[in-house]
Amino acid sequence: MLSFDSTLPFLRTNNGLFEIMTDLNITRFLPRTKDPALAILILFIIIQVVAITASLLYPDSFRYLSDANISVMLKSIPVLGVIALGVGILMIAGEFDLSVGANYTFSGIVMATMVRDGAFVLIAVVIGLALGIGIGLLNGYITIRFKIPSFIVTLGAMLFWQGMTLYYHGATSLRFRPPEFFKSLMAGNIGLLQSSFLWYLGLTIVYWAILHHHKLGNHFFAVGGNKEAATAIGINPGRTKMIAFGIAGFSAAFAGILAASRVGSIQPGQGAGLELKAIAACVIGGVALTGGRGSVLGIFLGAALILTIQDILLLLRAPGFYLEIFVGILIVGAAIFNQSIQKQD
Amino acid sequence: MTEQNSAANLTPLLELRDISKQYGPISALKNIDFYIGQREIVGLLGDNGAGKSTLIKLMSGIVQADRGEILANGKQVQLNSRRDSENLGIETIYQDAALVDTMSITRNIFMGREITNRLGFMRHKEMRDTAVDVLEGTVHIGGIESPRKLVGELSGGQKQAVAIARAVYFKRLILLLDEPTSALAVRATEKLFEHIRKLTEEGVSSVLVTHNLYHAFQVCDRFVVMSHGKITLNVLKQDTTIEELTQHVIKV
Repeated sequence: MLSFDSTLPFLRTNNGLFEIMTDLNITRFLPRTKDPALAILILFIIIQVVAITASLLYPDSFRYLSDANISVMLKSIPVLGVIALGVGILMIAGEFDLSVGANYTFSGIVMATMVRDGAFVLIAVVIGLALGIGIGLLNGYITIRFKIPSFIVTLGAMLFWQGMTLYYHGATSLRFRPPEFFKSLMAGNIGLLQSSFLWYLGLTIVYWAILHHHKLGNHFFAVGGNKEAATAIGINPGRTKMIAFGIAGFSAAFAGILAASRVGSIQPGQGAGLELKAIAACVIGGVALTGGRGSVLGIFLGAALILTIQDILLLLRAPGFYLEIFVGILIVGAAIFNQSIQKQD
Repeated sequence: MTEQNSAANLTPLLELRDISKQYGPISALKNIDFYIGQREIVGLLGDNGAGKSTLIKLMSGIVQADRGEILANGKQVQLNSRRDSENLGIETIYQDAALVDTMSITRNIFMGREITNRLGFMRHKEMRDTAVDVLEGTVHIGGIESPRKLVGELSGGQKQAVAIARAVYFKRLILLLDEPTSALAVRATEKLFEHIRKLTEEGVSSVLVTHNLYHAFQVCDRFVVMSHGKITLNVLKQDTTIEELTQHVIKV
């Protein structure tokens, strides 16, 4: 690390405490907590250590390390995780999608209905995914074409697709009975792991590669961080955002397929509230609500953290409302923390 | 330097002929004839609303003229988008430097022009090394610890340095600097002028838009004064004085 060139004091415009510390090179000795993903990783590890220690001390009353619990945890992560990744990438590009829960249910129901009516499962899956992407792109098109906040567009889309689900299928539960090969492909068991978790890991790696290593990911950050600057340098913000909307829609539909395969049925109301949980996972994982900041690792850990806390509370037989209270505190705490990091700049 | 004196005799890098631009009932530019010669720094002066910014935006491809023609190296061209001007080697450096605060220095330099493999994946190390080379070599502004540092953590002068590094690396021929010094400290302004002066030796011409005549006089080879959408003066540095320029800018 090079030190600041002390011969150029005028290059620094604000001489706050942080500047002085930089001058004296004090920051070198402080932990580099500028990356919110690092902070969430530390929190995640602390919670894991506490939970594992507790389960080792009280193996009979706190069954955190039991096979059954680990298996349930690993099964529950992919659906929220996949949706959160899609929503998070879109948030980094500076837009929201509140319709992912409704999209998740609707595209899942369309796919399951096709399978019930005799369509080959892989064709139904492709159509379900295409539908999810289409819903995402439509959100993007309306947002960009009419220059209205995506928050409003996708709020409308959420209600619209929830209604469409009931119109298309009705309020009853729909069975999803794919051929055996497909069920084991999407939700087969490999020891404690379920294949859905491997799909999630795979998708996480793909999204990580796109967001952090592909030029497209760089454009997401650019457009979300400063749309005018990105435009001035020749990036097409509309096109970039459309791709992000498509990724959010694809992720929602993909999560719908994972969930349907695991549970074997789809409830028309199952997606309600999932969009907010996904956004919560992103915020906890350090994605800025204003766009331009965030990481796949952070989103991954944010989703895992919400579900870990949920699991711990269940094991403690705490009433359900504790989860809401905890997650609520966590979201606001994470937002304050992220804000304070940005203020340091 | 004799080269600079003869700049006007060579084919201009960019030439605007009889350009007009209306914004509704308001004439932003009226029959403008303007050129940027080779290896020169043009000071574009004038009061607020004189049309300087419109002229810059026109050359950046952000706004289009209603009338008139544009020539690059003597050939007629269209400037319909930011891409068009970029393809001609024109880079605009805005007041706010057009950087993304939440991205690193490297990512900003290569924003939209990433070094990638055939699949579009970025070559991080190559971009980082190049960023260091450009910042320490051509631009040589100190105080930048690491190319991974976020631009939001930099001072105004350092931000301008990053924007200039970007322009230099991508071998621009013309830099359009729109009030680049408004957010800068004295020392940073001097540095900036050093850079653009040095760049003329490498074949890069600049247009400097500024309110500050003393700044302009320090660095420019030629001055163009605008008033109410018209060019009222076009004069080489050796043929004028600060006093004369001041009078022209103030005189409405």
